[in-house]
Amino acid sequence: MILHENSEARLLNIIKWGNNPFKKFVSTSEIKEELDLEKSRDNLIKNIKSIVKQNNNFILPIIGSVGSGKTHLFWALKNNLYYYNTFYISLESVYKKFFYNIYSEFIENLGMGPLKFVINQLCENWGALEKRYGFFHVVDIEKVKQTAFEQLSTKYYEIDHETIIDAINGITIHQLDPYKKIEAERWLLGKLMDVKELSTLNLSYDLHKGKNAYILLRLLIENSKLGTILFIDDFEKIIKIMKPEDDGLEEVFDPSWLYGSKLSPNDIASEKVFTKIIQLQKIEGLRVIITLKSIESLEQIKKKYQNLDSELLSMIKEPLFLNNFSEDDIFEFYKNTMNSFYDSIECNEFTQAFENPYYPLNKLTLKSIFEHTEGNPRAIIKILIKIFNELIDDEENFDSILKKYENRVK
Amino acid sequence: MSDSDNSILFDSLKGIQLEGVFEGSIITRCRDDNDSIIFSDNLKISSSEGIFITEGFRVGFELNYNKKIAFSRKIEAQWYEDFESIEYSILISEDIMQIYDDGQFSDAFPYTLNKLNTAALFLEDYQYGINHLEFFKGEMLRNPVAVVCDGVIVADRVVIDERIDPVFYDCLIVGRDEKEDLSVSFEPYMNIKKSLTDVKYILILGIEELKL
Repeated sequence: MILHENSEARLLNIIKWGNNPFKKFVSTSEIKEELDLEKSRDNLIKNIKSIVKQNNNFILPIIGSVGSGKTHLFWALKNNLYYYNTFYISLESVYKKFFYNIYSEFIENLGMGPLKFVINQLCENWGALEKRYGFFHVVDIEKVKQTAFEQLSTKYYEIDHETIIDAINGITIHQLDPYKKIEAERWLLGKLMDVKELSTLNLSYDLHKGKNAYILLRLLIENSKLGTILFIDDFEKIIKIMKPEDDGLEEVFDPSWLYGSKLSPNDIASEKVFTKIIQLQKIEGLRVIITLKSIESLEQIKKKYQNLDSELLSMIKEPLFLNNFSEDDIFEFYKNTMNSFYDSIECNEFTQAFENPYYPLNKLTLKSIFEHTEGNPRAIIKILIKIFNELIDDEENFDSILKKYENRVK
Repeated sequence: MSDSDNSILFDSLKGIQLEGVFEGSIITRCRDDNDSIIFSDNLKISSSEGIFITEGFRVGFELNYNKKIAFSRKIEAQWYEDFESIEYSILISEDIMQIYDDGQFSDAFPYTLNKLNTAALFLEDYQYGINHLEFFKGEMLRNPVAVVCDGVIVADRVVIDERIDPVFYDCLIVGRDEKEDLSVSFEPYMNIKKSLTDVKYILILGIEELKL
């Protein structure tokens, strides 16, 4: 018992130094989530995995309320589908320079090794690795470019020739011209380049311009041995922009002066983004997962597809639902987070040290929190952060803090 | 790395002679005054007609007036009716060639010197000897071919080190083992000490001549 008491006192002391085991209640695409999903969500991951394995092109809607853990799901998928190149975009951040921003995210996730491998494969397909006399690779860059152009201009007939030629030049120079390789690599990585650098490489534009990023994205995804999963978070943002504005609102600036009476600037922008998303779906092997807050949003998106390109409607899979935590989940989540905290403070002995496995909280408090929040993960974490902050601030006795939260719920 | 999937098509020393038409990466060492080597992607062996090579690339040294010069020539079609003029022909396995090809596309050394025409780097000859190794000290040259003892080295590049010894990178080595059996191996790099090894010659293949 004394040992237990000592450990309890030690843990409370560590927390009181300002170490809150629950730090953030919003998951982001930038900071990796180490914790896996709770057991009740195992089936969801299994279903997604099975859809990903069985289909090359699809849109899979995941529906979950605010704070249900949609962004956390991205990290869980990234960890579970590690043999796919899974990358995340938020429509807010890629609104401008849509293809370029998506390309940047794609390349950052793919890494330099696989990128070089795909480029090598492309050049091989274009005849760059032909051997003379059984041993010697004598590269005729012009011949390779010509073969590439013949292949790509037929396959991507809707893309203008200048864009295709730029892509071919960038790729072939990177692979086959050792003296210009470094500059070509900068181009491939999407760096801003001046006219002099571009003319050295015989290129018209860098990847910021026009559809250069789109054609490269398409070439790399379609020829990548890794499958590619694009995770678009909060996809309904595109619908919100598209909703008709409230007529009752008074506007000082009338957008119709610039954009005509039918469409607002927001409508035009959202139309553009939507058209670009449709173009993305033409990329073979690109699996798209979108998250939405409600089934109504999905219906609106389907209507939009119906109007713009009804063929793509068949690509939209039946939605999967991300439900709130079950009662068991909150206990599992709390334990996992505490264990991860013990690991971070290098006190793994705490995992087995307490008679009450939920120390410093208890089962009753956690149950109360669950009932109060109706199992919404974000709301649960918010309350847990608050409780531990109060403990750190030491304004009240810890027992009274716990009682307060238990009673508040009752 | 060595691989047992290599096929010895012909070996005069061991009396091996496989009949048929073979395709792939084939090295044939000739038994002539020039110590020449033929690289080809096809070869036909028939006991009645001899060895037939089309679209091959022959390299070696030849006497031109009073000096020896490195040569490389495309062979349109050549019959070797007399088996005596060939020492061995060996078909390199696909696995080894795959590794060799990867080395050729390595971007670790982008600034390697290419020779436009085939040129001599080193020739061990009492009367007509050539040694340009010191001149190229510290340089990296592309497409070297060397004959060392009974073996042939085909490498992606060669560097002449501080001791004026050649270091071959990403090289295929064809040679005989202690039982005189032919074997092929791939080495990422190989240092040759001239003073300790019987280096017959090293030549650098000209990239323009490879294109012909």
